[in-house]
Amino acid sequence: MILGKYISRYSNLTLSTRIHVSTLSLISLLVASVLVAISVGPVKINFTSILSILSNPFVHESISHTELERLIITDLRLPRIIVGITVGMGLSVAGLTMQALFRNPMADPGIIGVSAGGSLGAVVAITVGLEHYFLFSVPLFAFLGSLTASIIVYSFAYSNGRLSMPTLLLAGVAISAFFSSIISATIVLQENPDSVRQILFWLAGGLDSRSWNHVLIATPLITIGTIIISFFSRDLNLLSISDDDSKSLGVNVDLVRPGFIVLSSLLTGLAVSVSGTIIFVGLITPHILRLIVGPDHRLLVPLCAIGGAFFVTIADILARSIIQPAELQVGIITSLIGAPFFLFLLIKNKKNIHSY
Amino acid sequence: MVKIRFQRKKSVLLSLGLLLILSTVTSIVIQDNFFPETVVQENADPEKEKSELWPRNITGFNGITTIERKPRRIISASVGHDEMTVALVPLERLVAVTKISKDPLYSNIAELVKDIPSVDRDPENIIALNPDVIVTSPYFPADSISKLVDLNISVIQTNLASNIDNQIDQIALLGSIYGEEVRALQLSQQIRARFDFIQSISVDAEYTNKQSVLALSQYSDQIWTAGSNSTEGYIIEAAGGINSAAQSGLEGNVTTSFEGLISMAPDLIIITQPLKFGGASFIEELKTKPALKEIPAIKNNRIYPVETKLFTTLSFWNIRGIEELAKILWPDKLENQSFDGFDPFTTR
Repeated sequence: MILGKYISRYSNLTLSTRIHVSTLSLISLLVASVLVAISVGPVKINFTSILSILSNPFVHESISHTELERLIITDLRLPRIIVGITVGMGLSVAGLTMQALFRNPMADPGIIGVSAGGSLGAVVAITVGLEHYFLFSVPLFAFLGSLTASIIVYSFAYSNGRLSMPTLLLAGVAISAFFSSIISATIVLQENPDSVRQILFWLAGGLDSRSWNHVLIATPLITIGTIIISFFSRDLNLLSISDDDSKSLGVNVDLVRPGFIVLSSLLTGLAVSVSGTIIFVGLITPHILRLIVGPDHRLLVPLCAIGGAFFVTIADILARSIIQPAELQVGIITSLIGAPFFLFLLIKNKKNIHSY
Repeated sequence: MVKIRFQRKKSVLLSLGLLLILSTVTSIVIQDNFFPETVVQENADPEKEKSELWPRNITGFNGITTIERKPRRIISASVGHDEMTVALVPLERLVAVTKISKDPLYSNIAELVKDIPSVDRDPENIIALNPDVIVTSPYFPADSISKLVDLNISVIQTNLASNIDNQIDQIALLGSIYGEEVRALQLSQQIRARFDFIQSISVDAEYTNKQSVLALSQYSDQIWTAGSNSTEGYIIEAAGGINSAAQSGLEGNVTTSFEGLISMAPDLIIITQPLKFGGASFIEELKTKPALKEIPAIKNNRIYPVETKLFTTLSFWNIRGIEELAKILWPDKLENQSFDGFDPFTTR
């Protein structure tokens, strides 16, 4: 009731005010969640020590913090938080882009086979045993798998200089099914139970034991991809209405649409490579924000980036703290909190739902 | 209008109430019928004539099963059952075992069963082997069991346990199923004696002398540990150690984090996954991660890879795991002690 009142009052504000209010609110929430994430863990570290470490991350020891506390913050908690932020940002922006391009509220990054390709890449690396020789072979292969899936799907859908969206969608579904079958067959035919566990736990997704190397793999490119999509968000607005309108308003549809698809594949592939498949983020975050701020992608793209980051950070805090020192999978939490909250918003805002 | 809505709500509530009662009654009935305690109904006396002992009724996890005569063609369909069965009956009576029992990394009887066919869960493949009895765990698919029972094949599901008392009960039950009560008794006495020997060493120790132990494995960057009510946890405590994970309130096999390891601060770490399937790289990671260097086990270089098959299989072979860990925990008392495996039935 109260939320609905705020949403309707919010929708009366000008675009510029809405951008400022929503961005500031979400940034505040993200900063607060990051501070909580840094503070929460099986080892108790007081807030003064945390502040001291954050202000002097390379000072091994000081009056306010010990070397062990510094290492816990800088080597264990910070990389995990940053990977979580990056993955949340990438998945939700990719989800939003797909939903706009396909004009389908159910579209998510997996629809064109990118997630399945990433999963197959990881499964190949695990099955062959590459991770024992090269530590980052699994994320690398996951990314290559995503890229391969994208290339195969595009090659089917691209002919005579035009991209056929229905063919893209159908090829994506077919490739997803094909790759998923190969994954299932690999698991079933696997004789070694340890390899089966490696595969299943990778497929479950998670942010366990993330390091600065994972940050280096994903963060720069996901950030750049998000910025580029944000820069072209006006085109996304037009494409989400119709191709004819887009063309009449000067959008080069034949160039921009494949560009968006390549970018969202890149974001998804990178996110999958460092976290496995964390479900619901790419589907739910754009929907929740669309319910709150409306369908304008100039506003939605940056907000989805921050909102997705916030969502995964909160989910990871819960995953780490509910049963510590044990942990839950972050994907379990994203589904557990994401789905009911999404349903709650749907019920509360039936009249204000913006869709394609 | 209000009255109609109220009546609708009332009828919905009434239906939900009835549904709740119905499901409760159904679950109680199902529980009573399908999950009874595993007990041997008949006290077999090996001195009596065999004809007097058969048929016999065995109550397993899947209910009461009548075995008409001493089984000559046995299918065992879980690693734990395979290991116990090999110790109780001559290999000639075993017509099929689980595939994984042939892998020396995960099975203590791999060499012995290498020529015995392996069995899957497909009823047709099982029927082709013409078994007298199939012994398996509660995880065997219920529909496969139902089809086999329809074809007059005796299927008995029994619970496997890491606790030594329950394992001895299981051996007695299997002995009764196979008509090998004397051998079951001998094996139980052997297990009990070996267990008591380790207990005599660890029980004498002051609690403060006991070391905390953490069992770890890592799959796809997820770190797994074993809390209370886990096989590894039971082995740690039976060997005279303190299970760090159980002390931190963890139950069963659960995931933890590097920071979780710091908070549990074990005196020693055992790696229960095979070295060539991730164990070696995990040990390397533990040793080289700067944030972990103050954990006593890492600081004092006390990370021990252990044989997976001794620590994870649910059979009496866990005793070997207890003995191996006890040697690490009590080197002054067990330094010169060597422990043997268990003999199969055929070598006696």
